[in-house]
Amino acid sequence: MKILGASGKIVVLIIIVGLISLMGYAIFGNRVSIKTSPLIGTQAPDFNLKTFDGQDLKLSDLEGKTVLLNFWASWCMPCKQEAGALERAWQKYKGDDVVFVGVNVWDENSNALKYLSKFGGGYPHALDPDEEIQIDYGVGGVPETFFIDSSGMVRDKFTGPLTEQIIDYFVLKAQKPQENES
Amino acid sequence: MTRLTLKNSLSVLTIISILVFSGLVSIAEEGIDDQTTSIANLLMCPVCQGQSVGESNSNLANDMRDIIRKQLEEGKSQEEILAYFVSSYGESILASPPPKGINWILWLLPGAGIIIGGVIITLFLFRAQKEDGSEDRKEIETIAKSQDEYINKVDEEIKKSDS
Repeated sequence: MKILGASGKIVVLIIIVGLISLMGYAIFGNRVSIKTSPLIGTQAPDFNLKTFDGQDLKLSDLEGKTVLLNFWASWCMPCKQEAGALERAWQKYKGDDVVFVGVNVWDENSNALKYLSKFGGGYPHALDPDEEIQIDYGVGGVPETFFIDSSGMVRDKFTGPLTEQIIDYFVLKAQKPQENES
Repeated sequence: MTRLTLKNSLSVLTIISILVFSGLVSIAEEGIDDQTTSIANLLMCPVCQGQSVGESNSNLANDMRDIIRKQLEEGKSQEEILAYFVSSYGESILASPPPKGINWILWLLPGAGIIIGGVIITLFLFRAQKEDGSEDRKEIETIAKSQDEYINKVDEEIKKSDS
């Protein structure tokens, strides 16, 4: 019993080929412009944080410097894993107009202070009193790190524990003038 | 007496004013709560498996609901609030993708699938019915023909035996 005629078969074939092409485009197409965050290439959302030693810390005050903004929590194992690399990298870059800022999110204050005494390092760590910075930066989990160039533009985002090599790569990239990456 | 009545009237008026004001406040609160929930349901929780911000109890979803509420209190519209979340998390934060660009496929594909599927099923049933009908007719004709031959033979035999 014939279900479709010759023309029907051609139509079905065209539909199947079209769907496969669309799936291929969705999976493999335009990969160059895939970004890890919609903030990349845009001005970094300004923040007004309170450091654990009571100082105000504004992003706008850091203009002209490369900023590494690292989101962490005391309960986060990968944050402990990357703490050593962050400290070593901070020691290396602190004279080069590179500022490291740790932002504690979704945490208890007492646990955060205990964590800082063990893993904190020498750079400033802060809290957002309004608990909005993590949403402003589209943070979904910890650790997440943003690299902001001297003009205040978000250059990259890295999700997961950092190593010294990863920090070097993104800090040096943020220090270079932006090229057309699209 | 008159002074007492006036005093009583003022007291009653004050109580009524307080009740009306608190009622209006609670109505406004309910309105913001409902709006917060409806906007939260339009956003997917970025750290949950298939849950909206309205459904999830994660810290992130709680923060997002607080921000929705705060922005509503600041007088921002639903579109402005959704745009804020899209600017931070990208379009994947939206529970239903906006109908533009390649997203149109997601909107059109289910309808197109139903129409194409319907056409194929109709064609299949139509042809199957047509072919079944013609086969049945052929079978009936064959049976009728063989029965005619048999009856003819019987008639001939009867005629022979009569003669």
